[in-house]
Amino acid sequence: MTDLIMARGLGKSFGTTRALDDVNFTVNAGRIVGLIGPNGAGKTTALKALLGLTRFDGELSVLGLDPYRHRHKLMQDVCFIADVAVLPRWIRVRQLIDFVAATHPKFRRDVCEHFLSRSDVKPVSRVKELSKGMVTQLHLALVMAIDAKLLVLDEPTLGLDILMRKQFYETLINEYFDEQRTILVTTHQVEEVEHILTDLLFIDRGRIVLNATMDEVQESYAQVAVRPEHVAAARTHKPLAERQGLGRTHMLFRGIDRADLERLGEVGVPSVADLFVAVIQGARA
Amino acid sequence: MNRFLWLIRREIWEHKAIWIAPAIVIACLLLLVVTGNVHLGPIGTIEGPFGEFPRETQVKLLLIVYAGLALVVDMVMGIIAFFYALDSLYADRRDRSVLFWKSLPLSDAETVLSKFAVAAVVIPLVSLAGAVLAQIVVAAGGSAKLAMAGMAAGVMWQPEAIFGGMVIAFLWCVTAILWYSPIIAYLMLASAWAPKGPFLWAVLPPVAIWVLERVVLYSEHVGDFITDRLFGLYRLLGSQGDSGAEASDPETGREVADKLSQIDLIGSLRDFYSSPDLWLGVVAAGLLLAAAMWVRRYRDETS
Repeated sequence: MTDLIMARGLGKSFGTTRALDDVNFTVNAGRIVGLIGPNGAGKTTALKALLGLTRFDGELSVLGLDPYRHRHKLMQDVCFIADVAVLPRWIRVRQLIDFVAATHPKFRRDVCEHFLSRSDVKPVSRVKELSKGMVTQLHLALVMAIDAKLLVLDEPTLGLDILMRKQFYETLINEYFDEQRTILVTTHQVEEVEHILTDLLFIDRGRIVLNATMDEVQESYAQVAVRPEHVAAARTHKPLAERQGLGRTHMLFRGIDRADLERLGEVGVPSVADLFVAVIQGARA
Repeated sequence: MNRFLWLIRREIWEHKAIWIAPAIVIACLLLLVVTGNVHLGPIGTIEGPFGEFPRETQVKLLLIVYAGLALVVDMVMGIIAFFYALDSLYADRRDRSVLFWKSLPLSDAETVLSKFAVAAVVIPLVSLAGAVLAQIVVAAGGSAKLAMAGMAAGVMWQPEAIFGGMVIAFLWCVTAILWYSPIIAYLMLASAWAPKGPFLWAVLPPVAIWVLERVVLYSEHVGDFITDRLFGLYRLLGSQGDSGAEASDPETGREVADKLSQIDLIGSLRDFYSSPDLWLGVVAAGLLLAAAMWVRRYRDETS
């Protein structure tokens, strides 16, 4: 099984700033990968490189193709939704479906219409008449009707209300995702995706600072609510992060024996958000 | 349906002016005809000598009327094509929907070619259809007017005139495509390249070079080159020989008719096609179009 995405020494500069600096990672089929990083970390640049929209240094292959050279061929098997709802504003919903049906060999109109029938999007409407949530629903319906191997989502739920965001990911997981498909998603709203991700890629200042599966994360990282009398002892284990809670000090540890940690307080799985903060701060220190 | 035709269809969905503009022109003509305001120049002057002219002159004069109509429609469509080309590779970058179009398995070369085909084939074809329709409307209106004045209405429909008018409209259409193709391709290149404001990006560089040459070298080669390319098609309107008769003010219908009937529309076309300018322009169009495809393909949309 070859890797779906393989990046080796991936780099990209804008003037003197390195947007991507020696980025290495692979993505296997059937995974849901969260590419997570602060603003300006290089997330969007990395995705643009994967989609053949921008030039890069180093080695990058997506589905065995060089995305920059073979963008339009790649797009038969790769779909993407960019950060804001960017469907052409002048087009009617029906025209858009007709056009995609005519130009995309892997598009299934019946699937798309099935998804749309559950939304308020009407075929005669123009995109500019739709609310932002409806545009996103329309875009998701179009994309989910394409039998693609890789779906790339760049901040897909930006600007949507919480109900829409929840519905967005539910539809995606329940009705689209399966073993044959791979999803790569970037978002700021980590809490919303953490329960669906299988892999984490943290990126900061153009570098990958964490590359692990969720299982690995749960094995090697632990969040402990340390009782006050054990705080000093806990610190000897070099917590990655520490914050005060209700009568407890919450510390994040990596690679410490679970039995040791349980003596200090209640052990839990760290949230991706906590892990993210700790890892980014650690990487910058 | 073939993918390329869908790409063209998309453009026509987006740019409604392509068919609305000629429809407006025809509607205006119809209005003129219905209200009886068609002016047919020397032909329309009821008391004038049109009926007395030999048949050959009548045909020639009518031909000029019909050709003139085609010219009006062509000019309107030329303006449409200008702004279409300028907008073609910029509008979707401005509203960022280019990212959606680029998520479809369509090559940039196909996209650019489809847009060029709209400017260089679809718009001229619409223009041709509009011209023929305008000619028929005016022929109908003219003959009604002549009939009411008790003159031979069939004059307007002389086959050599009406079909000749259509042939001229067709030939002008083809010639305009060839002549203006480098301008269309140039505008598309500017449209693909411009970070914003493609109009200025398209217009400023040639104007700047024009002015610079004038100021520095006191010559006008660039200016001549540009004006020739923009307005060179006037040569198609035919040379009237040495007509120093502009000043002879009180022209009678017959004088105007004599002068007009000397215009050789077909002969000027022949001269035009034998000039290298036309064909060099076509080559330039190909190069500019390739550049537009390259820019469309490799322009970084990250910003």
